[in-house]
Amino acid sequence: MITCGIDVGLENIKVLLLKDDQISARACGRSGGAGRSAAAKALWNDVLKSAELSASDVSKTVATGRGRKDVTFADFCVTEPIADAKAALRIYPKAVSVMDIGADQVRVIPLSEKNGTSQPAFNQKCSAGLGTLLRYMSMRLEMTLDDIGACAHNPAGGVTVNDGCIVFAELDALELLNQNTGREDVACAIIEAVVVRLNAILHDKTAPPKEGVVLIGGVAKNAAVVSGLKTRSGIDFIVPNHAEYGGALGAALLAAEN
Amino acid sequence: MNNQIWETRPLEIWERAKELRAKWQKSIDESAASENALLAHGNAGRLDWSVGFTGLNIIEDNPVGAMLANKSDEFSRKCRMAAEIRGWGRELCGYVNNCWGSMFLGRQSDGSEFPMREMSVPFPDPCDQHTKRGQQCMDLSPIPRWGSDFTMYLGPRDPEREKAMIEHKVYCTLHVINEIERVFGREFDDEKLIAAIGLRPQIEIYAREITQLMTNIPSPIGQKDLNSFYTVGMLTKVDPEETLDFWRSLRDEIKWRVDNKIAAVGTERYRWMEAHPSPWHYLKYYRYMEKYGAVCIGSQYTHMMAGTLELKEDGRLGPTDEPRLPKDRSIRTREDALRATMLQARIPCGFKADEYFRVTAITDFAKGFHVNGAIMPLWRGGVGCTLTRKEQALRLNEIGVNTLHYEGSQPGDRTDMDEHHFLDQLDMWMENQGLRMLD
Repeated sequence: MITCGIDVGLENIKVLLLKDDQISARACGRSGGAGRSAAAKALWNDVLKSAELSASDVSKTVATGRGRKDVTFADFCVTEPIADAKAALRIYPKAVSVMDIGADQVRVIPLSEKNGTSQPAFNQKCSAGLGTLLRYMSMRLEMTLDDIGACAHNPAGGVTVNDGCIVFAELDALELLNQNTGREDVACAIIEAVVVRLNAILHDKTAPPKEGVVLIGGVAKNAAVVSGLKTRSGIDFIVPNHAEYGGALGAALLAAEN
Repeated sequence: MNNQIWETRPLEIWERAKELRAKWQKSIDESAASENALLAHGNAGRLDWSVGFTGLNIIEDNPVGAMLANKSDEFSRKCRMAAEIRGWGRELCGYVNNCWGSMFLGRQSDGSEFPMREMSVPFPDPCDQHTKRGQQCMDLSPIPRWGSDFTMYLGPRDPEREKAMIEHKVYCTLHVINEIERVFGREFDDEKLIAAIGLRPQIEIYAREITQLMTNIPSPIGQKDLNSFYTVGMLTKVDPEETLDFWRSLRDEIKWRVDNKIAAVGTERYRWMEAHPSPWHYLKYYRYMEKYGAVCIGSQYTHMMAGTLELKEDGRLGPTDEPRLPKDRSIRTREDALRATMLQARIPCGFKADEYFRVTAITDFAKGFHVNGAIMPLWRGGVGCTLTRKEQALRLNEIGVNTLHYEGSQPGDRTDMDEHHFLDQLDMWMENQGLRMLD
């Protein structure tokens, strides 16, 4: 059986195909703003083409993410925590919690044996858009996201930016650049600000477990953020390869179950 | 999952409630315009003695600010800007900035003249907004202002301290009454005050019955209904006898609805509570939640007319065992009557009190109403509404109640409201609990 999971995020769309419970194809593309529905359809077609499949070969398609309702060809939609939880338990069956850091939203979802998830914590406004901040800053600093991810997360010389608001953080970064602060140091300061906010969300309801926490979402690909968050939280995160496909994987698994 | 469908229908008492509200508004406008009537700014819920002055009406900033936010975001923004350019900003809540801004602009949202106050009787409060309230309306006119202390304290229960505070409050109030008589040449009618004292506990009994009736499944009315009623007789005062009759009729209709299984939400399968004031600028989110078959049964705030409640051994919510009227002597004098009103008002409503009210009372409330979830906004400014909200959420989580926080400026200020994020969060929260939107 072939199923498909589509995660339509604020910035990126992720499509993943499962064939007989194994990942057979995946692709990521820009979410396309006002053309999000068309972008999802186009990416879906691309994945099918690369896998040499037709739409009729796919038994079921499930959409998740902020733009899930734009996937008009999906059989049904699920909200992100449901998909995240499903993916986390697939990635690490003994997982007790999953954290998903996307362009826009951050979620921490404790996993319960009873019904899969319990009491998720979401970012509040000041921690919205952390992933988007990293992308904006990469453009501002003329660095790639990979370059930023390669930075040490401790900035040299005590360079800091605002860690309460990404708008102020970006303005602080601009001011630092105007003061001839090195762009790597500015990048480190940005990462530290992101890490501070993430750690606050991790501790939003209760102290998080130190083991068995799966980290997914596009920002989980940023090594500097992950390293900084491990240091600050003391959590030894389980970070899968292709962490940005976590939501899509969960959706595809749910499609296979239903 | 309960898939039962109940009959639902509008309340018959709506028209009467609207009439009462319109009557209150008319009394306020007439008081401002008439030379025979007086309009006072103050905290209406704590100025029960005002019935002793014929023609004295009380208006409070909170309901005015809330109504402004509800009726027109455009106008309430203008109001807040009018307040801001006079030096008032985020240190004051949206209610106050809406109300003061309307006063500074000199008009209400419908274009009518702002009813200027002729005196101000604010009270100090843990929420500093309440304390500051008298300032601008006094400075603008100018008008006389008298402080009216609030009988509450933080920390463990201390009857001796309460006794001293009540006596202090009684003599403060005697002074205010004497001053109004002196400045405005009005005579205070002790008999009217004494007669009114007996009515408040009766209103409370009806309100408490309504609260208890709402613990039934399905709930006969929801928070959106209750929002329209809970101020009647408290923040929006009309004739006490008429108020009492209204609450009696409301109780009768709600009891009939319970007896006949008439539901607020016909698809009720999920019950949720709020923490204190609603976002007046975004009341439509109750309707959004109804798409999941979710009914909001209210908050401690909207059930405050029912008095202080606790969970009894039978699992039902009932009144605390505090004496509400002095039992050891009859009420003969103004001083007796004032002491009685202070005693009635002594027990603070939940959001302004100490550990019992912050933590235990909210879990009692959740258990009594059989709620599944609680939505607890984190307001950035004002009215003390956010105090302990996260602590309460943890206590609710411990008894199995799911909680959701969202951020905003204040119940009377839409500035920080992010509708798309908010609705997205609601979807995730509900689905995470196994509920999907009904067809």
